[in-house]
Amino acid sequence: MRLFSGQRAFVLQRLSALVLLAYLAGGALWLAFGPAPTFSRWQAWSAQPLAAAALLVLAAAVLAHAWVGVRDVMLDYLRPLALRLAALGAVATVLAGLAAWTALILFSHVLAFA
Amino acid sequence: MRFRVFRFDPERDARPRLQDYDVRLKPSDRMVLDALVRLKEQDDSISFRRSCREGVCGSDAMNINGLNALACITPLKDLPEPVTLYPLPAFPVIRDLIVDMTQFFAHYHAIKPYLVNDEAPPERERLQSPQEHEKLNGLYECILCACCSSFCPSQWWNPEKFLGPAALLQAERFIVDSRDRATGARIEFLDDVYKLYRCRSIMNCTEVCPKKLNPAGAIERIKVALLRKSA
Repeated sequence: MRLFSGQRAFVLQRLSALVLLAYLAGGALWLAFGPAPTFSRWQAWSAQPLAAAALLVLAAAVLAHAWVGVRDVMLDYLRPLALRLAALGAVATVLAGLAAWTALILFSHVLAFA
Repeated sequence: MRFRVFRFDPERDARPRLQDYDVRLKPSDRMVLDALVRLKEQDDSISFRRSCREGVCGSDAMNINGLNALACITPLKDLPEPVTLYPLPAFPVIRDLIVDMTQFFAHYHAIKPYLVNDEAPPERERLQSPQEHEKLNGLYECILCACCSSFCPSQWWNPEKFLGPAALLQAERFIVDSRDRATGARIEFLDDVYKLYRCRSIMNCTEVCPKKLNPAGAIERIKVALLRKSA
């Protein structure tokens, strides 16, 4: 797979879409057939290590999908290379920050309930 | 029947304009091209391309009531009035409904739209099995009218770099041809963030193809072929 050929982004977009689709289907089934969702039930469920890990995978898929989408828009509209690199760097930093923040929230939540 | 037609003569007009016409049709006039020919009798200054008048040559591709189509196979009876006629979107206008297709054909030539096979030719011809030929169905029928490429937002954004649905459909046509020996080089040529991967599967191309082909599907298959190659 060549670097910057566009294939990595294509694969990442398709894989993250599959993950999101699986979570969407799972979430819909849970809402349809599971117990009525309440805050305390959600809090207890998400404090389980496996559930937190699953939520982290979901967040990673959302952020990866967002990265490919925003990158596509920037490749189309930002023509000057310096401006494009700066904007892509800023987006990557924000998305990485969001990923770290999500991980921090989830694991502090798990530790608080342990 | 009422028409509103895009008019632009670069030698006379500073800006394009829309001109309204009331075209007197004859009972035998069925298609938009028939109406354009009548219109030309009323106003011979209007310019448009046409040739075969039966959806084979692709010359009279234009934007009819907001959708790209061939004038010769678009029935008048289905169109709400006034029928608006624009040249193919995003292509430079030469005059009225005639566009400059230089860039379109440059992309087409870039994919080497011919068989590449340096093996000694057989005595008669390079044969294909029915199964091998079947793979070309849905690809070889492209008439290069440019309805798809001109209606593709990715092409609007990157007209010089993105090859566009027509050229990529033709690329797939030669990639899957059992007689071609340059499959690897063809796929490698397309492995580019602009040439191929600007396609976002918007599917306008498939929506407007007058031959009912599926360029978006062909592009997706090229991406899968590339993925298999690099796996």
